[in-house]
Amino acid sequence: MLFTSLHFALFFPIVTVGFFLIPSKMKVAWLLLASCIFYMAFIPAYILILFVTILIDYAAGIGLEKVEAGHRKILLVISIASTCLVLLVFKYLYFAIDSIILAAGYAGVHLAHPVISIVLPIGLSFHTFQSLSYVIEVYKGNQKAEKNLVVYATYVMFFPQLVAGPIERPQNLLHQFRARHEFSYEAATQGLKRMAWGFFKKLVIADRLALYVNDVYRAPRNFNGTQLTIATFFFAYQIYCDFSGYSDIAIGAAQVMGFKLMENFNSPYHSLSIGEFWHRWHISLSTWFKDYLYIPLGGSRVNYWPHVRNILITFAVSGLWHGANWTYVFWGTLNGVYLVAGQASKRYRDAIFAACGIGDASPLRKSVSLATTFILACIAWVLFRAASISDAMYVLTHFLRNWNLHNIATEQFYLRQFPVAVGSIIFLEIAEMLAARDFKIEEVLAKSLAVRWAAYASFVVLVILLGVYKSAQFIYFQF
Amino acid sequence: MSPIVETRDSHRPISMRDMSQGDNGIDPRRWPNVLRILCFVGMLVIACYLLNGMVSKGLRMLTSDEFGAWNEEMQGRVNADVIISGSSRAANHFDPREIARVTGLTAFNIGRNGTQTDVQLGVLRAYLEHNRKPRIIIQNLDAFTFVTTRELYDPALYIPYIDDHEIYQTMRKVDVELTQGRYIPLYDYAVEDMNFTWWLGLKGLVGINPKNTIYLGFKPRDRAWSDEFDRFRAGNPKGVTFPVQPDGVRVLEDMITLCHENGIQLVLVYSPEYDGMQRMTKNREEIFAEFRELSKRYNVPFWDYSQWKYVDDTSMFYNSQHMNSRGAEMFSIDFARQLAAYMNKLGWQVGGQSASGTNVMTSTLGSMNAVRFH
Repeated sequence: MLFTSLHFALFFPIVTVGFFLIPSKMKVAWLLLASCIFYMAFIPAYILILFVTILIDYAAGIGLEKVEAGHRKILLVISIASTCLVLLVFKYLYFAIDSIILAAGYAGVHLAHPVISIVLPIGLSFHTFQSLSYVIEVYKGNQKAEKNLVVYATYVMFFPQLVAGPIERPQNLLHQFRARHEFSYEAATQGLKRMAWGFFKKLVIADRLALYVNDVYRAPRNFNGTQLTIATFFFAYQIYCDFSGYSDIAIGAAQVMGFKLMENFNSPYHSLSIGEFWHRWHISLSTWFKDYLYIPLGGSRVNYWPHVRNILITFAVSGLWHGANWTYVFWGTLNGVYLVAGQASKRYRDAIFAACGIGDASPLRKSVSLATTFILACIAWVLFRAASISDAMYVLTHFLRNWNLHNIATEQFYLRQFPVAVGSIIFLEIAEMLAARDFKIEEVLAKSLAVRWAAYASFVVLVILLGVYKSAQFIYFQF
Repeated sequence: MSPIVETRDSHRPISMRDMSQGDNGIDPRRWPNVLRILCFVGMLVIACYLLNGMVSKGLRMLTSDEFGAWNEEMQGRVNADVIISGSSRAANHFDPREIARVTGLTAFNIGRNGTQTDVQLGVLRAYLEHNRKPRIIIQNLDAFTFVTTRELYDPALYIPYIDDHEIYQTMRKVDVELTQGRYIPLYDYAVEDMNFTWWLGLKGLVGINPKNTIYLGFKPRDRAWSDEFDRFRAGNPKGVTFPVQPDGVRVLEDMITLCHENGIQLVLVYSPEYDGMQRMTKNREEIFAEFRELSKRYNVPFWDYSQWKYVDDTSMFYNSQHMNSRGAEMFSIDFARQLAAYMNKLGWQVGGQSASGTNVMTSTLGSMNAVRFH
């Protein structure tokens, strides 16, 4: 079920009201039922895959507490391998076969493509990673195994974050299902406001920009340099608003019911370096990879070259997590290269700025760093968005060619869409800058209930009217 | 107060007994807060209904351009003798001013962009419901005449009149989701429309009209031929096929029957189409055989302008399907003369002024030779 569908507009109030009205002992079961309905709205049969993952890790969690120390690692490996097998079959099988055929082709052996038709279960990578984190934390002794299957299943399937995160850790979420939840006006209104902001990002910004981006990236060779540049700039905001908008709605929906999910974004385009960008972008995934891949590989507590290797492996795997396509692997690796190059060149950049008399805190330096980081991120996004490496190379090599400011519209995106698209991006940036300065709109509007309600209602109505509803689902669902 | 009441050791495994502890339902002391949220939601819903009503009202008040022409039709202010119905080809090709000048009868073009015959029939029915019956209806045909509508083009145009029976039924047949706007405020303006038509409606409410580009429903397009068709042809080297769907045939039959039942003379016209496109249409003969068959079976004249004198002249078209304003002007004059001759043949004794000031009947015979009669 999409958050932006009419079904969700009915589903969410019913689930929330039911959650607060039913007896406490039934609340978790109620959430599990709601989560099943939510997930089955996509492809009902795929809930069985989810159940398999849940059962594997539920049993593994209990087993890890019971088996002798010597067997714990074996059980952990079996559990991780079993969970990952589901992911491999449904997400990476075709990619692996395709890559083998491609490699064989380079070696002069021509293999036929097998006919395989597998639809990727929505959000598979998200709930798989959430399950894995549970098993690993139990293995590490940071989390007690959950004995109640209903509670554990609800932890994996909790509908606000089921299909696109945030990827929760058991220490943060699991215990919340055993806490008593009472209706809180403060939490409900804060949650609803957060949801409204998420809908603004998703419907008004992301889905409008998607019209332009889809037109251009569907056949980039039909567009001039101006359009390729605009499309790439728009995609940077589309993917940010699409994904962070989803996270806002998820966090807000959970908050209305009294649950606290982890933050997933923190104004990533305000970063002054790629390293900082990755501390602000998809935080739940970045920390997942840091804790369960980068650090086990040795992290930064190794020599220089092993450290570089660890960074590149982590980012390449992160790229692969996003999609079964070489474009994603190159996108991840490029970000790793950025990070390594950024660390290696820091000394020289500092020296150049110092020679120019520009200090660390100088607004000029911050602006240069901000712009550089954004441009580097945009270049990487080309690899992420393009349908193939060939398309990505075309876009990257044609940004600056054949500029024509009189021909910037596309088939789906008329000129009249530009003011709304650009205006909403500016509004977003201003709002994020104010939020970074701890500005709270409630304080400005606090004096009068009428003013406050009018402001909130106007915002909601504007989101409704300026939203785009005819687009595809959230980008990150496919991961 | 935190919504999460931490009552137990967070690392202790949970049991159903744990969850059964504590309150059931909402604490009665919190009801005022619940009511407060409900009041806000209620206020929001009322605001949406009001805004929806204001937008629709504003759109119905517009007097220029697309909505202006549509409002004339739906508010019964047209009452013309000659009505031209069809798709954007009808809207772009037939100038009612020329028809009126040559025939001396009032004329109006109700052609709709992006419509197939099923929607055109709905629009015609709505027209007939609100206006005096015309003496003659010109139904312009297309290669895609027998293809039924899968998606309503520019749905915002129909939303202010969603309560009209004919419009509602037409929208419902195309896509039942379109009619949700009848019950959910702002649904259609927000979800189905991508052109910010709600803003046009709000401006209409305070009397601000858009710039007019439409004359008695006729939409002249002052555009030059582009490379669009060459790209289209390159993308379809094997040509294109337009299905002849039984439902599509039935809709045209319904339209013929509607005219017969109302005592209105119907004329089927295939207005000029760029020659290159005609050659690209692989099943053109099948489509035209169906036109001829219907024409014969129902005794309705079918005028085919496929061989019109300018069909291979790109200066008269802006794409393969549509003539530009220059082509439309030339065609409208030729068509109006033929229409006048036909009406006189029926004994209606019509006639106006030709562009050169001579009586139209003396110059009609020449133009008739360019058209195939069936």
